[in-house]
Amino acid sequence: MRPEELRDRLEERVLLLDGGMGSLLMSAGLERGRAPEFWNLEHPERVEAAHRGYVEAGSDIVHANTFGASPPKLKAAGLEGRCREVNAVAVAIARRACGAAALVAGDLGPTGLLLPPVGQATVEEMAGAFREQASALAEAGADLLSIETMYDLREALIAAEAARATGLPVLASMTFESRKRGFFTIMGDPLGASLAALADAGADAVGCNCSVTSSVMVGMVSEARRSVSVPIAAQPNAGQPRVTPQGTAYDASPEAFARDVVAIVEAGARLVGGCCGTTPAFIACARAGLGTAGVR
Amino acid sequence: MTEASEVLAALTRAVLEGDDQSVVGLARRALDGGLAPLEMIEQGLVPGIRRAGELWEEGEYFLPELVSSAQAMKAAMDVVRPALARHGGGGELGRVVIGTVHGDIHDIGKTLVGTLLAANGFAVSDEGVDVPLERFVDRARELDADLVCASALLTTTMAEQRELVGALRRAGLRARVMVGGAPASREWAREIGADGYADNAVAAVAVARRLVTGEA
Repeated sequence: MRPEELRDRLEERVLLLDGGMGSLLMSAGLERGRAPEFWNLEHPERVEAAHRGYVEAGSDIVHANTFGASPPKLKAAGLEGRCREVNAVAVAIARRACGAAALVAGDLGPTGLLLPPVGQATVEEMAGAFREQASALAEAGADLLSIETMYDLREALIAAEAARATGLPVLASMTFESRKRGFFTIMGDPLGASLAALADAGADAVGCNCSVTSSVMVGMVSEARRSVSVPIAAQPNAGQPRVTPQGTAYDASPEAFARDVVAIVEAGARLVGGCCGTTPAFIACARAGLGTAGVR
Repeated sequence: MTEASEVLAALTRAVLEGDDQSVVGLARRALDGGLAPLEMIEQGLVPGIRRAGELWEEGEYFLPELVSSAQAMKAAMDVVRPALARHGGGGELGRVVIGTVHGDIHDIGKTLVGTLLAANGFAVSDEGVDVPLERFVDRARELDADLVCASALLTTTMAEQRELVGALRRAGLRARVMVGGAPASREWAREIGADGYADNAVAAVAVARRLVTGEA
């Protein structure tokens, strides 16, 4: 897909993204401590079923299960040297689930490498990692690339440059927390300036995901709207995580999430979905909520 | 007197600003000038790292500032510690083994806690991420550790923290255990029999100090 096509679709209407993947796979039996990317190779039918849940719930764009499929992350997970293979398989699985009903986004998460002063990684090794994953996703036939959960603007910009080089549309999201003086990443990158920098770097849409509840996300989108003119994406968590003997539980209901999704769109988002803890039920509720609100 | 207090204030400022080059120079000159090493640590360096921690908790400092301050503190401590040993004073506050549990490769929080513990005078052995239980136990035994710190960022890996407590106890080691990471909590620490929990790196230093020295 060409970047202009995505922008045209976003002018027509709000596009619904999918929700969480790791939490869904865990409830399908993903072993503790295991990287979700293993299941692309070992249980493709279970990954496909998770995607299908989102397509049936009304997602227009589904993320392939490649959030941790950059070479450094794969190496840490025990899948060293298999970047091309893992990304290709993951895109094929998502494509089978989506058919013509939804677009497949190649998902690029943080490499786990840390630049100085916090870590000792170099810009070159980070850029190499993103180039390898982005080109693998493009070759596998992803419709667009979605960079997510970035906490260091420098890494987000490196990822955006690698993603742009494929010629596919690029969605770039970072993860911010509410701090004393506004919304910042853990590295201290402020929301407005960071998203503006990503838009300047050529991202076709920019946004915020993870870390916060849907109600906090409404305020983040308002600030993003004041800072950039490109389309804005928002993927909040399903409320706050709580640890229970059965595992992590999130305290928001799909209905409450859907009410906030309408507010998020009214605040200016053109792409909206969920992050940790959200399931197809959340996305189905969001779809119904947007329909009832008559939002386009 | 004025001169000493100015040097101490400059040390505090250099740590707070994360200026590891000038803090090392200042520390060397202060030692050459006859300033007592313990006084330098307690009245110069420690107030700097404590203030950096406070600013982080208040939302004024972010990870890069906090890490830079910790690194400046550590660089200064490397200069001062040998002099301190010659004065027959202080030594290390305690020996710590720290790591992220098996199956978990989250590095930031664990490294930050390790760096801050080292900056505050603990001898820290950072075992990295994805650390098997046996490695925690072996290192705690080798170093006769006072404290073992285990980080888990995933609800799927936090169960390793419980197993670690059991493994250290079965090995008959005296080390206390502190746990941390996003899914952990005070209740969780109590449930698994850990000795301490901290929800951020600055708090972790205070908990470690309490666990190792018995001070409140």
